[in-house]
Amino acid sequence: MPAAQALPDAVRRAIARAANGGEIRIAAASDLGTDGRYGERWIALAGEQVLVCAPDGDEASILVDLRLKDISEVQVENLVGGAMLQAVVNGRKVDLISYTNALAKRFGRVRGQLDAAAKGKPIPDEPERSNRCPNCGLIIGEETRVCPRCVRKGAVLRRLLGYARPYRARLVLVGVLMLASTAFGLAPPYLTKILVDGVLIPRANAYLLAWLIVGLAASSILSTGLGIWRSRIAAWVGNRASFDIRAALYERLQWLTLRYYDRHPTGTIISRLTQDSGGVQDLLAFGLPWVTSSALTIIGIAIAVFVINWKLALLAIVPAPLVSILTRSLWRRMHRAFHRYWQRWGRFHSVVNDALSRVKIIRAFSQQPAEIERFQLRNADLFKAAAYAEQTWATIMPLVSLLIGSGSLLVWYFGGLLIIGKSGLTIGGLMAFLGYLGMLYGPLNNLTMSAQWVSRALTAAERIFEVLDAEGYSEQSPGAVVPETIRGEVEFRNVTFGYEKHQPVLHDLSFKVEPGEMLGLVGKSGVGKSTVINLLCRFYDVDEGEILIDGVPLREVDLSVYRGRLGAVLQEPFLFSGTVAENIAYGKPDAPPEEIMAAAKIANAHDFIVNKPDGYDEQVGERGGRLSAGEKQRICIARAILHDPAVLILDEATANVDLETEDQIQQAIARLIEGRTTFAIAHRLSTLRNASKLLVMEAGKITEMGTHEELEAKQGIYHRLLEIHRKTSTVTAVSG
Amino acid sequence: MQATQSETAPALRYLDPAQVRAFRTEDGRVRVTIEGERSVIAPRFLRAFPLNDPERYISIREQEPNGKEIGLLRNWQRMDREQRDIVQAELDRRYLYAIIQGIVTVQNLFGVVICELETDRGMRQVTFRDMRDNVIYLGESRVLLTDAEGNRYDIPDLGALDRRSRALLSSML
Repeated sequence: MPAAQALPDAVRRAIARAANGGEIRIAAASDLGTDGRYGERWIALAGEQVLVCAPDGDEASILVDLRLKDISEVQVENLVGGAMLQAVVNGRKVDLISYTNALAKRFGRVRGQLDAAAKGKPIPDEPERSNRCPNCGLIIGEETRVCPRCVRKGAVLRRLLGYARPYRARLVLVGVLMLASTAFGLAPPYLTKILVDGVLIPRANAYLLAWLIVGLAASSILSTGLGIWRSRIAAWVGNRASFDIRAALYERLQWLTLRYYDRHPTGTIISRLTQDSGGVQDLLAFGLPWVTSSALTIIGIAIAVFVINWKLALLAIVPAPLVSILTRSLWRRMHRAFHRYWQRWGRFHSVVNDALSRVKIIRAFSQQPAEIERFQLRNADLFKAAAYAEQTWATIMPLVSLLIGSGSLLVWYFGGLLIIGKSGLTIGGLMAFLGYLGMLYGPLNNLTMSAQWVSRALTAAERIFEVLDAEGYSEQSPGAVVPETIRGEVEFRNVTFGYEKHQPVLHDLSFKVEPGEMLGLVGKSGVGKSTVINLLCRFYDVDEGEILIDGVPLREVDLSVYRGRLGAVLQEPFLFSGTVAENIAYGKPDAPPEEIMAAAKIANAHDFIVNKPDGYDEQVGERGGRLSAGEKQRICIARAILHDPAVLILDEATANVDLETEDQIQQAIARLIEGRTTFAIAHRLSTLRNASKLLVMEAGKITEMGTHEELEAKQGIYHRLLEIHRKTSTVTAVSG
Repeated sequence: MQATQSETAPALRYLDPAQVRAFRTEDGRVRVTIEGERSVIAPRFLRAFPLNDPERYISIREQEPNGKEIGLLRNWQRMDREQRDIVQAELDRRYLYAIIQGIVTVQNLFGVVICELETDRGMRQVTFRDMRDNVIYLGESRVLLTDAEGNRYDIPDLGALDRRSRALLSSML
């Protein structure tokens, strides 16, 4: 049963009464009251009744009560800032419940569920997606489920460290080196103590002096040397672990379902791979070793100062947390100032970018003065923020030093008293003590400051794990049929599909295309033509019905074999950076040069390619940026020809090309489609005429089907589209 | 592959080296004769894969503006010596790649890189702009550079450069 929200008692009672105890199958709360003010109202499907209920203190009243069997459809009327759920009863729309845009997703789902129930279909059950953390309610964006507030840091860290496990031996070495270098690093103050008490004050013992100097030198050299060794290994392990994480992440991304990509903008996915993995890399390679060695140093110092004089040690340690808290609060202030500064930079950048990229329009409307003013506004903002940040820095840094220095004053005073009173502290002891204190505040500060960025890096890690754990694409059903050849017979049998299951885009689509036939898909944009293509490519699986290839359900056909026989030439020609030859041979990387050239020749591309300075070795640039639209299109056609598909998808080129180029492209396409089952999203009359069959679509349904002549004779939608097309072509012909 | 293509689909024509005769006319122009078929004056010789397969697939074409392809020579090395020299001379005329043998100095001025190169054609001062867009890496050790004026420089084997040149190069790229 679909999850129903937990109902308040009053509402539950009212609904149970109205529905005579019928089971509550769907329940959802809206955020608008009856009078349009913010409030609470409920809609529920209980038994066979759709009820809308408004709670009022301990009571609740039923506002709408409809019998499910009277409802033919449930719709959403989009309003401004909100929407209204409506039921169609006897051809008349009845308002059910209104809600603000905040709940649009929830009620989109409810609409699908009620609609399915009204039509006697099983109620789809999809979990509600929200942009809030389910735990604490913080808005975190829909593209992630990771809440920075709730992330379980320990678990993430453990999992992260799991990536370093293969390099255990090196990590153990890092640990040993860390201990050793810290120990050697802590030796100098202690040696100073011996130096002062044993050599300088008695003014004797030159032999010991020499040895102490050797000791001081040795401990510094060893501590530095071992530190370098440790850092080098730690850097290798950290970077190697993040290398592994990036590799796992990218592999995952290649196998995620396309639905995942629908729900997550490319930008955020890229930032998983770049920024988030960069954050993790910093943490592993640099942050963790740093934090650990700081902690070790602090522990070492604490032991040393307690050994020298425990009373003085207590005195010195007590203010340390206070100092670090104060420092932290000062740092926070500074961070805020710099954060604002960076934010202003971002805004400044976007104003400049915006203005300079539309410089012609600005001139055309003589808006230069206004633009200058707009710029100056941002410029001044930036100046203020920058000055403030730098001034804060200039003030706080010395204050922090002062604060840290003040701790030692206490030690000087009370240590001095101890020495005067001859109660257990030597001058050398005090010197060593002060030396240790001087070494303490650095690591202490490191630790306090690290808390924030460690937590940021762990959040990044969690977001990466989220992708790693996301549902993968089980493309292949076990026992898939590996067909010997694919002839290209395609049948859609009662296909219903929606990108969101509760919102079908295609309704009950049925048609059949024989091998070698060309099917033209006709209709306005948004009617589902591209969705038909997406299903044909099996980028998505159908929700209901079946697609049959040569009589075998597509789900059961071996996908790599099938896709190997599927080709596409899309409206937006897709090239990737590489050479022309590599682009043509994308679907057949081992194609010999002669096949590549033969395909290019058929696609009317050979001649322009050979005339490029680097011929087939010419770099096309990112997305083919160095080629003209017509050239790109023909390279894509050559690619499809080389791929030799049994089923071809053709989203006709409408690129702005000159007539001669267009003619060449048309010729190439005509050669390409010959003998192949072709699905064409048609824009041109000529294509429509050539199609063996035309499928006219409207709102995800087939409205007309037949040949060009049949449909024209029918004087229906196709005929109307054709009329419009003819008129616009004439206009274009005249004006062009 | 073209089993499904119709008769009208154009196909490439490969020329038999034995069929092709190249010679210079009295005025020094090149003339190519396809035996028993036609003779073309001053044809153009283009490499289909100038970088990855420069010694095969030479496209012999009519003069511009028409520029139709007469045919492709698959293995022109099989032509006799005299013929080969003419083809080689024509290719050398079109493909002006200087081979970098050493890098003497590199100066980086606000994103413009000026360097002095020792090439197989002699010393030359060269200016590179937008370095990143003008470098082509071919395999592990070959690099092709295009300077600000569109001239080409080839480093066939990075490993063959001396240490100093390699260090200077990596500072440029």
